[in-house]
Amino acid sequence: MNYMVMECHPGYAVLLDEEGRFRKAANLHYEVGQTVCDPVLMREGPSRQQKLIRWASGSFAAVAACFMMLIGLRYYQHNLAAYSSIYLTINPEVQMDLNRQGDVIRLEGGNEDGRQLLEGYTGKGKDKITVTDELIDRAIEMGFLSEGGQISFSIDTPDEALFREYGEELTDEVLRHLQDRFTITVEIVNSQTGETESTEGTQNSAPASQEIISVPAPSEQETAPADDDTDYGPAGDGVTDYGDSDYGPGSDGVTDYTAPAETAEEPPEADSGSSSYGESSYDGSNYEDDDDDGGDDDSDDSDDDDGDDGGDDDD
Amino acid sequence: MNDEHKIIQQVYAAKEDMEEADRLIGAYMPFIRAETAKFLRRPPIEGHDDELSIAMIAFHEAIRGYSRTRGAFLKYAAMLIRSRLIDYQRSERRHQETVSLDTPAGEDDTPLGDTLADGKDESEELLIREATRAEIEELSRQMQEFGVSLTDVAENCPRQQRTLLACRKALWYAKEHPELLEELLQTKRLPVARLSAGSGTERKTLERHRKYMVALLLIYTNGYEIIRGHLTQVMKGVAV
Repeated sequence: MNYMVMECHPGYAVLLDEEGRFRKAANLHYEVGQTVCDPVLMREGPSRQQKLIRWASGSFAAVAACFMMLIGLRYYQHNLAAYSSIYLTINPEVQMDLNRQGDVIRLEGGNEDGRQLLEGYTGKGKDKITVTDELIDRAIEMGFLSEGGQISFSIDTPDEALFREYGEELTDEVLRHLQDRFTITVEIVNSQTGETESTEGTQNSAPASQEIISVPAPSEQETAPADDDTDYGPAGDGVTDYGDSDYGPGSDGVTDYTAPAETAEEPPEADSGSSSYGESSYDGSNYEDDDDDGGDDDSDDSDDDDGDDGGDDDD
Repeated sequence: MNDEHKIIQQVYAAKEDMEEADRLIGAYMPFIRAETAKFLRRPPIEGHDDELSIAMIAFHEAIRGYSRTRGAFLKYAAMLIRSRLIDYQRSERRHQETVSLDTPAGEDDTPLGDTLADGKDESEELLIREATRAEIEELSRQMQEFGVSLTDVAENCPRQQRTLLACRKALWYAKEHPELLEELLQTKRLPVARLSAGSGTERKTLERHRKYMVALLLIYTNGYEIIRGHLTQVMKGVAV
């Protein structure tokens, strides 16, 4: 198409095409009255219809993006976000974070043994039962679990029904998994309420016994008095007895320790918060003869006594 | 920051006023030249390099298309200049296989164009161009009486084919009724109602494209034979 140059400006020229359109174009050294055939026409801005199409397509894209985000969020909530946790304790402690489907999304060692147990192991994406079996096998291989041992599962879930379901699944599976090898005790703890359920399994048999033990909540355990003669809390008598030391140069030679009960064969319950200090056998020691010897000998003696008593170790 | 505000104000003023746009282009010629030089990797030669003209029309487009949501004006203009120059370079590449008339044709380096008989009389062509220029100048002068410039007409020209056809119908009706053209010349007002009623074109369309209609109707009054001769396609496909 031919264009007639109608007007020339420094930045553009006005051209008239054969159909009667006046167009702006790049002024490629044109002169008024000249007829040109291949001008560089100025691009017009988007028309109202194009703007409408652009707006509609933009809106559609925004709605589609929101929809995709919702799908993504739902997928994240169901598959990637931690919904519940299982704390597996043999001696190694392992925390398993699970999604809503019960698949493991994160594994973390709770102590040094736990980290050692997880070294080189990838359980992400597997079912909790599979991971539990595999971790138990690894624990047996590494010597963490043996005959008569105990496996504790502390289940943290917002749903009570889910706690029951997981507890039953784990108990049945672990006992089934180990029934030809060991006799072990499986303990299921509801980490929300502190309720504990123990099941003991025997070799080549189904679970032998089940016992539900209600354990007070951790906060109650902390506030329970450890001794009658406490200097803390509401039961404090106001006498700290700090000056009545049995060690060092200020020792009065009187240990004030009571003799250990002869019948105390059962190990003290660690959960009760009792320190067992009252069961010490210091009366039988040569402590009174060595008043001036200082702390070193005393500590040696007490170490020996501890070894004899073995209260904590037996635990 | 103040400079940025100032240039944005200038750009918004230039959107409405073509003289202001010309002034802005003149003021930012060093910037346009620098952007062209960046693309060409050499300083552009004014009057020789088409790229400089392309960059100027791109700057003009930047003025027209700019809005505050697009960020800094000069960055936007630089981006537009670069993309237009790339487009131009691509279109030029397509013609690379075409042999230029300036290519030396013989041993004596005579340009190829000089060896071809074009059948045109250069002096006659120059005369026609001068006559065309005279017509265009007269048209511009007459349009000024209506308060319309050729740039205004270019701004006011219908973009959609449907609207263009509607305007052509009105033009055809006016051509068939010379009294309407007489009325236009005498009253200096576009007879919108009669054109609309006679041609069937919506009054709103005619009012929206009033400047364009004035220019077309003036061209179809006496005295603009060359321009009318150029408009070979205008009356094609028009039926009232």
